[in-house]
Amino acid sequence: MSMVYINIFLAFIMSLMGLLMYRSHLMSSLLCLEGMMLSLFIMMTVAILNNHLTLASMAPIILLVFAACEAALGLSLLVMVSNTYGTDYVQNLNLLQC
Amino acid sequence: FTPLMLTAMFILLLPIIMSNTQLYKNSLYPHYVKTTISYAFIISMIPTMMFISSGQEAVISNWHWLSIQTLKLSLSFKMDYFSTIFIPVALFVTWSIMEFSMWYMHSDPYINRFFKYLLMFLITMMILVTANNLFQLFIGWEGVGIMSFLLIGWWYGRADANTAALQAILYNRIGDVGFIMAMAWFLTNFNAWDFQQIFITQHENLNIPLLGLLLAATGKSAQFGLHPWLPSAMEGPTPVSALLHSSTMVVAGVFLLIRFYPLMEQNKTMQTLTLCLGAITTLFTAICALTQNDIKKIVAFSTSSQLGLMIVTIGINQPYLAFLHICTHAFFKAMLFMCSGSIIHSLNDEQDIRKMGGLYKPMPFTTTSLIIGSLALTGMPFLTGFYSKDLIIETANTSYTNAWALLITLIATSLTAAYSTRIMFFVLLGQPRFNTLNLINENNTHLINSIKRLLIGSIFAGYLISYNIPPTTIPQMTMPYYLKLTALAVTIAGFILALELNLAAKNLKFMYPSSLFKFSNLLGYFPIVMHRLPSKMSLTMSQKSASMLLDMIWLENVLPKSISLFQMKMSTTVSNQKGLVKLYFLSFMITLALSLILLNSHE
Repeated sequence: MSMVYINIFLAFIMSLMGLLMYRSHLMSSLLCLEGMMLSLFIMMTVAILNNHLTLASMAPIILLVFAACEAALGLSLLVMVSNTYGTDYVQNLNLLQC
Repeated sequence: FTPLMLTAMFILLLPIIMSNTQLYKNSLYPHYVKTTISYAFIISMIPTMMFISSGQEAVISNWHWLSIQTLKLSLSFKMDYFSTIFIPVALFVTWSIMEFSMWYMHSDPYINRFFKYLLMFLITMMILVTANNLFQLFIGWEGVGIMSFLLIGWWYGRADANTAALQAILYNRIGDVGFIMAMAWFLTNFNAWDFQQIFITQHENLNIPLLGLLLAATGKSAQFGLHPWLPSAMEGPTPVSALLHSSTMVVAGVFLLIRFYPLMEQNKTMQTLTLCLGAITTLFTAICALTQNDIKKIVAFSTSSQLGLMIVTIGINQPYLAFLHICTHAFFKAMLFMCSGSIIHSLNDEQDIRKMGGLYKPMPFTTTSLIIGSLALTGMPFLTGFYSKDLIIETANTSYTNAWALLITLIATSLTAAYSTRIMFFVLLGQPRFNTLNLINENNTHLINSIKRLLIGSIFAGYLISYNIPPTTIPQMTMPYYLKLTALAVTIAGFILALELNLAAKNLKFMYPSSLFKFSNLLGYFPIVMHRLPSKMSLTMSQKSASMLLDMIWLENVLPKSISLFQMKMSTTVSNQKGLVKLYFLSFMITLALSLILLNSHE
């Protein structure tokens, strides 16, 4: 595989690590989620443009749309948690009742 | 013949017309009104005698009022069997009541206005009785309703009286809807409001107008569904109760049904309906009368019960008997009310029978008339009530009719005896239970004369009327002896039972009321439930639909809030996690790494 792809793939892995291993703030995992989305977008666009696969040119745009939706959802969850506890420390989540 | 009748009715109009003149301000106005009515009574006896001897009926149609396309309305008076006999009876009773109210309302500053109202009531009642077309009857109908309102609320400073008057108007209005429906049906299907034309045209299914008329009678004559206004109407002065709510106004509904008897003869459904309605009314009001404590309310319930009996009579296809009962009932019921008025006034406005007693010695005349009135009411043989009531029970016993309704009527007859005994026991016998400083005095000539006249009427009128009227439907002549004695037997049973119970319980401590007592005392919970529940429900329903339906429910609650609520509830019921997020993520990553390393060994 060429260097570019490996580079972007590594960026994806880094963001995944960041999503799965965070210390106290929920916000950091949400940010890493955005990072994952970003790297996926770049990889998809580069692959399509390099191979002149014009038929699939919509795919990155659609990926962006869904990324926006899930970001909104994640943020609303964060806001709910923050409404109950004042902060978004992840150690609060053991008592979270609706 | 006819000019005399019209003269009699015109005389009644005079005092009203003169009300703007000096005569009205005079303190002799009540006396004037009373003599007017007595002259009208005597004059109206003449056409009655002519009718009795010749059997000739008359219709007076004098003034063509208006024609609406094909409908011709004129001012027409019908002097047939019913109106010719009813008018003298009504005038006689009203004469006595006017004289009585000269004593009763003596200290009232507006006594002239009182007499004017009573006179206007009488005129509208006459219009009702002599009407030949439905429009004129409706005028009389509404007129008696309005006068009833004005007279019940005579002491308008009292809130109870105002609510009672309003209640009377509302319940009568519901009946009026039925009346108007019948009128509309007659207009569209028969193109006439005259009785003659209605009775001639033949039509297969007369259910709708007869239902409307039955509803009108239910409202006006206080039958079961629309009855609470009659006991509440006792808030008015006693002469009002005596005139309106015993003799004349409440029989307007029955009179309407009697007028339409050619239509009702053919329709079996209507007869069954009237029979059942009358039977339920009789029994229910008799049960309620058993435990009331206000003397006027007991007599009001007794009126209601007798009205149910009249409706039962119509239901067994005997309109003439019902009419006879109307006439005889007027006498003794008015007298009962006047006696109770005399008792109330002399005990300084005390209406509770638990606070009366031992009036047997101080008021002998009132005692006599009360006892005779109660006996006539229960149908004691050869007093007035016997001639109509016993005939009704006999006819009901021997006719092919609803056995359940018949049984209920018999039970109600025995209850009549029971509550009459109760009145007499509490009011007249025993030791006095009232304040000792009352001056009990029966000396006023107005009082004595009026009660005396009705007393003689109660004793003899039944005999006189039933032997002098033209022959009508033939009463049943032969029946087994046990059927003939049924009415007498149940009445005597009621008397004895009530007397024994009252004597036995006289000196016992008053126990906590059983639920049956509470049912009877609170009028079967009917007014309590029906006055609050339907109106509250309709108001809340309209408020909810107006304010909450569109905004809150559809825009706010159906999609957004319901979805969120549903999800929350589901997630709390389904999930049993403990929220150890970091651990979960770590385990995810370790599993991923481990699997990638282990599975790389294929290269």
